[in-house]
Amino acid sequence: MSIADQSLTTELASRNDVIVCRGVKKWFGDFQALRGVDLTVKDREVLVVLGPSGSGKSTLIRCINRLEAHQEGSIVVDGVELTNDLRNIEKIRSEVGMVFQQFNLFPHLTVLDNITLAPVWVRKKPKADALAKAMELLERVGIPEQAAKFPGQLSGGQQQRVAIARALAMEPKIMLFDEPTSALDPEMIKEVLDVMKELANSGMTMIVVTHEMGFAREVADRLVFMESGEIVEVGTPDQFFSAPREERTKKFLSQIL
Amino acid sequence: MTSTTHATSLAADSQRRPPFWRNTTLIKWTVQVAVLFTVLAAFWFLITQARSNLSARGIPVGYDWFDDPANFQLGEGIQTVDSPERRLTMSRALWVGMANTFRVAIAGIIFATIIGVIVGVSRLSKNYVARRASSVYVEMLRNVPILVQIILWLAILGSIGALTPDTGPIKGWVIVSQKGISIPRVFLADGFYQFLSLFLLLSVGIWFVRRRLVARQERLGGNQHVGSITTALVVAALVVSWFANAPMAFLRGVFASLESAWGSIPQVVVQVGLAALAVGVGALRVRAFLQSRRTPAGLAKLTDDDWFRLLFIALVAIVAAFIVLRVWPGLSSWLINSGRDFFGVLSDKFGDGRGTRPLDAMRPTLSTGRFVNYGTTGLTMTVFYASLFFGLVFYTSAFIAEVVRGGILAVPTGQGEAAAALGLSRGQALRKVILPQAFRVIMPPLGNQYLNLTKNTSLGIAVGFSEIVQVGQTVYNKNSQTLAVFSIYMMFFLACSLTISSIVNYINRRLAIVER
Repeated sequence: MSIADQSLTTELASRNDVIVCRGVKKWFGDFQALRGVDLTVKDREVLVVLGPSGSGKSTLIRCINRLEAHQEGSIVVDGVELTNDLRNIEKIRSEVGMVFQQFNLFPHLTVLDNITLAPVWVRKKPKADALAKAMELLERVGIPEQAAKFPGQLSGGQQQRVAIARALAMEPKIMLFDEPTSALDPEMIKEVLDVMKELANSGMTMIVVTHEMGFAREVADRLVFMESGEIVEVGTPDQFFSAPREERTKKFLSQIL
Repeated sequence: MTSTTHATSLAADSQRRPPFWRNTTLIKWTVQVAVLFTVLAAFWFLITQARSNLSARGIPVGYDWFDDPANFQLGEGIQTVDSPERRLTMSRALWVGMANTFRVAIAGIIFATIIGVIVGVSRLSKNYVARRASSVYVEMLRNVPILVQIILWLAILGSIGALTPDTGPIKGWVIVSQKGISIPRVFLADGFYQFLSLFLLLSVGIWFVRRRLVARQERLGGNQHVGSITTALVVAALVVSWFANAPMAFLRGVFASLESAWGSIPQVVVQVGLAALAVGVGALRVRAFLQSRRTPAGLAKLTDDDWFRLLFIALVAIVAAFIVLRVWPGLSSWLINSGRDFFGVLSDKFGDGRGTRPLDAMRPTLSTGRFVNYGTTGLTMTVFYASLFFGLVFYTSAFIAEVVRGGILAVPTGQGEAAAALGLSRGQALRKVILPQAFRVIMPPLGNQYLNLTKNTSLGIAVGFSEIVQVGQTVYNKNSQTLAVFSIYMMFFLACSLTISSIVNYINRRLAIVER
């Protein structure tokens, strides 16, 4: 049993494994970004990944939907192993939603077209159904009145909420968040975090890379601390913030808190 | 309280008109008008000087040589020699030159774009061989002057065997020789316009059906076979218009009556109509301008600048109206005559004992060691055309490849990642996300490349291809009308460039991304 799995509470442990990473290694040229990561994410679990920049947090979640290809080890998402097989990759990508630091909305499409693009072209949904679903999601993230606008006309917080709605439109089983609030002005961070909290409470399986400690403490089922491409410590928020076991974790927490 | 009154008095101050020598608006407009008049006066001076100097040496400048017989042969084109049925006049020779320029420019633009896009995309390919090969292609072609490339192509193509009826892969059908390549030509037969008009009519119907099908696809989802149904309908329409186009012969009468109706318009009506058009457009511009100055509280106070603009619009409209009414009555009669001729030509294309077959084919024919004239035999690509064409296409495609590569690189990598993360396939991501954004970066420099290619057709003079510049040179060598011929060059290339750039600008506006 690896350290990542030791701290599972009994309630969590009884659920199904949704993501299983075993010994995942990844190099960019000479630089090793991931040095053998073992991690299991359970159904409906909210996992927050912390760590200094360059520690491999983003690389890890980008490997989970294969925006980056890992070179050693195995990643199994929802029972499907990520390999070079194009069919597996496309299947997993349509099950895993992702929200980026820079939003990455499509600037040439309206908000509605951004949200309905993938349901219509990947899921082959009727346009009318996709539009109805899109409006429903915009209500959920609180900006139905922006539906006909272009991304360039929205504030950062609104754009990120559209990006979340766009990912949810594919009805994913898992959501990955890659520093979703890092590019936002302080007054807009809350509106995005509120949407994410609501999503977590609704039972979505989420992996969140963030520096928002308040969010981590409040919403996370488990926290993962990474440094230099390794998982250093895993724990529940209470244990992690009040009684970190590892020296490196203590040092990190003393710097940011 | 005091601060409020102070602010009010400041505002009142700023509204007061400064003396005219410090009024920036007045200065700006005075300078602009002065520059405009200086430039016009300078042109007028240069032209009258040149005219008087030349006529002092016995060379009158003008365009009255248009109908003189050409007394020379053209290398190739829609008409190359003088014959009693079709006179080859000087102006006709220039028309042939323009047609040849179009032939090489349009084909060149199409092929340079296709090759350029393929090479540009493969420079970004993950395939090592494709990437390297296209880099070498680009670097080699864009670093050798185009004139050298064109002459090199002429040398290469000229080293092929001499022209005899059986040089070529398929005897009698394809001829390959140092004079050029000739293949069977498909040409428009008697029934073509009947076929075309019926097909266009049916296409409108198909367009409506397709719209309904697309709506159904959006309503129901899944695969409603929009593409295959449309294709089937188009094929059916083609078959019907090919075999059953005889009823369209009635258009002969329609166009004939349009011809006589257009020809009987009195000149004064056209003049007044054009003048009214000028004034009307001016009035609409004034109205649109005033509309843009309207606020919810009513019309905003017009600034000095606004008044000048209104004055300028009115002045242009009045000058235009004056020109069509008094200065240039020839414009109106030209419009009447060419409109009448246009309908006359159209009406001759329909009915009256014509066959209904739209297309026909013809094999290449030779006479005394050269190809028979363009237009009466197989489709011939002469070595002169070929060397200019290959030179232009390969040279320009190297630049287009760089433009395409730059456009795709300008789309942030996050866009492709977001599309991939949503489950879109590579092709879908390219079509729906990357290319629409790359296009808006690609379009302006691509338009520049099209302009360059069109202007570089004038290098045809180096290999003796009969494009407008080469023909024009022959013309002014015969009659010394250098200035007049150059003014035609300038107007021709200006017209080409403005057409291309307005198309590009239109597309660019359509692709613009809304921000704020």
